[in-house]
Amino acid sequence: MHGALKMSAAVGRVLSQQMRQSLKVLKSLAGKKNRCFSASVPIPKEGSVSNNEQKSVNRGKSADPLECRFMYPEFLPDPKPEYRNSLREKLERADMMARRSKIDIPEFYVGSILAVTVSDPHAPGKSNRFVGICIKRSGCGLRANFILRNVVDNQGVEVLYELYDPTIQKIDCLRLEKRLDNELLYLRDAPEEYSTFSFDMEPEIIPEGTPVPVNDLKVTLKPQPWLEKWERKDLKGVRDIVVNQKREMKAKAALKPWEKYDLMKIYRETIPEEEQKEIFAEVYSDLHNLEITRQKMKRQRTFIRPKKSG
Amino acid sequence: MSLILKTLTSIQSFSNLLKPGIEVTTLAKRGAKRLNPYPKKRHPGWLPRPTHVLYKDDITPENTKFIKEVVETRFGKPDVGLGMQSKSISPLRNEPIEPQTEWKEGMRRTGVIAKKIGVYPMWLKDGTKVLSTLLQVIDNHVIRYMSPEEYAPVIQRNNIRNRLGCLIVGAESMDPQLFTKEYCGVFNESGVLPKRMLGRFLISPNAALQPGTPLYAAHFKPGDYVDIRGKTIDRGFQGVMKRWGFKGMPASHGVTKTHRRGGNIGSGGTKARVMPGTKMPGHMGNRWRVFRGIRILRINTKYNVIWALGPHIPGETNSLLYMYDTVLPTRKPSTAPHFPTYLPSIQENPVEEELWAEDVHRFDDPCIEFIEETK
Repeated sequence: MHGALKMSAAVGRVLSQQMRQSLKVLKSLAGKKNRCFSASVPIPKEGSVSNNEQKSVNRGKSADPLECRFMYPEFLPDPKPEYRNSLREKLERADMMARRSKIDIPEFYVGSILAVTVSDPHAPGKSNRFVGICIKRSGCGLRANFILRNVVDNQGVEVLYELYDPTIQKIDCLRLEKRLDNELLYLRDAPEEYSTFSFDMEPEIIPEGTPVPVNDLKVTLKPQPWLEKWERKDLKGVRDIVVNQKREMKAKAALKPWEKYDLMKIYRETIPEEEQKEIFAEVYSDLHNLEITRQKMKRQRTFIRPKKSG
Repeated sequence: MSLILKTLTSIQSFSNLLKPGIEVTTLAKRGAKRLNPYPKKRHPGWLPRPTHVLYKDDITPENTKFIKEVVETRFGKPDVGLGMQSKSISPLRNEPIEPQTEWKEGMRRTGVIAKKIGVYPMWLKDGTKVLSTLLQVIDNHVIRYMSPEEYAPVIQRNNIRNRLGCLIVGAESMDPQLFTKEYCGVFNESGVLPKRMLGRFLISPNAALQPGTPLYAAHFKPGDYVDIRGKTIDRGFQGVMKRWGFKGMPASHGVTKTHRRGGNIGSGGTKARVMPGTKMPGHMGNRWRVFRGIRILRINTKYNVIWALGPHIPGETNSLLYMYDTVLPTRKPSTAPHFPTYLPSIQENPVEEELWAEDVHRFDDPCIEFIEETK
């Protein structure tokens, strides 16, 4: 009896310690106004996160494996319980790492400008290069994909690329930055100059250890009709959306302010912190090594031997 | 007088019995030939009831611990993790039998029981993206073999020459305390833990295996074609649009109350009735379905996982299915498979951890590049 009591007390202590730790983590996260959201959830607003939090995610220095969830969101599986299986997720991660060992997939976010070279059997020279702004990142695991948008000859062009597609030869991040929203689909209804990028853009170099810059550019939309009801989306990167009174009323009626208090909804749509830790602990060292080699390569590329004068 | 009357009535009543019963009315057997029969569980006569009601017996924690210890010392742990096979070999059958005959065309091997664990994309060497379903061969052991004479199928075949035997295979070891004593007795011959699922495969007598033999994913080879039998996802009572893919009716232009309905189900006149087999709303899914001729793209021999081409294998994720060599005549193997099964002990050189079909792009291969044709 005494032994059992002792045991329970010990368990209690361990638990409380764990709880304290988790509380600490939660507090720190709460300070950042964010929980460990999975990639597939539309709720996490990386854009809405305060600048303090942005600074904490230092480039090339992801000391905490848990910070990888912003850099590599596709490593978190689909949180739907009916699709989950631990072995499948493990095998999928191994395949992703195998592909990453053959191609350098840089760190990028929605709002970054990328150049993608794809082998295309129908293109002259059998390969194709496209430059554009990343307006959306979705999918998890090997299904991860992103959409690039550009305006070519006054015509908006969007291309969806699979991140782990072996026909992709090269992905370059020409400008690494974040925008205020986690989806820039409103650029489709914005003037063309906001999504026009020249194909011979030079990659911009950011010094190591600095946080990812946030571009707080505000866009003015073109007059209606629009592709979506933007007034309902709570967009940070759009300047004054003006709609008529009826649409305004409808938008107000469609608001769901209680959803942020729906703990069960958040629970269902996210991967628990403990599982995230487990996942990133598995791939962290490999990802970190890949990152270091990438930085070395970049340094070699940027270093230009001074010429002898005289 | 009364006695005479009594005898008379008794005789009358007796003669009533002798008369043919005209009160019995026979009903015409309707709907005997169903288009879509419900899944029936044909319970084999030799198989006792597997589970029983769990009573809360007064077992002390020490007793449960002791039982667990006994089970683990005898059989090893039931769950090694990630659905991997426990290393402990059946104590009764340490030596697997040597294959007696060479494989010939037309011989039928056993199948395996697999668990559907998910779907994810793979790429072929020509750059096309395909979806693959992952199937884990989960802790399979041969439980029993019945010779063709012993195993008399329910429907007697006229063809007596090619009679097939029956091999019973079990998947996923479980705690024996969950099952009845009689069901646990089924596994006495093979000496393995009671299994969650049993399946019978009709095999040619040459392909018989000794009870207790483990089956692995390497039973198949990449590039082989298999048939997969599983229970489809239970979707409940569904309308005609979801169940049969009807088009429905217009959303507007004066249409009221009939947007997702099927419309007319038959004509009047001479055939004033609903024809049998008419597609109508009803219960959808939860049926046994066989999907034939699925190609195997890749095999992992460490975790016993098979990547099969296509996302539409019957069943939910984490459900168990039967997998066996295809019966489609054009997709049957022309070269010899592992016959009667893959036995690692008698194999000269063990198989690699990852086996790939020829046209599949491996994830650690360099990027796909197309070469320009020079004229």
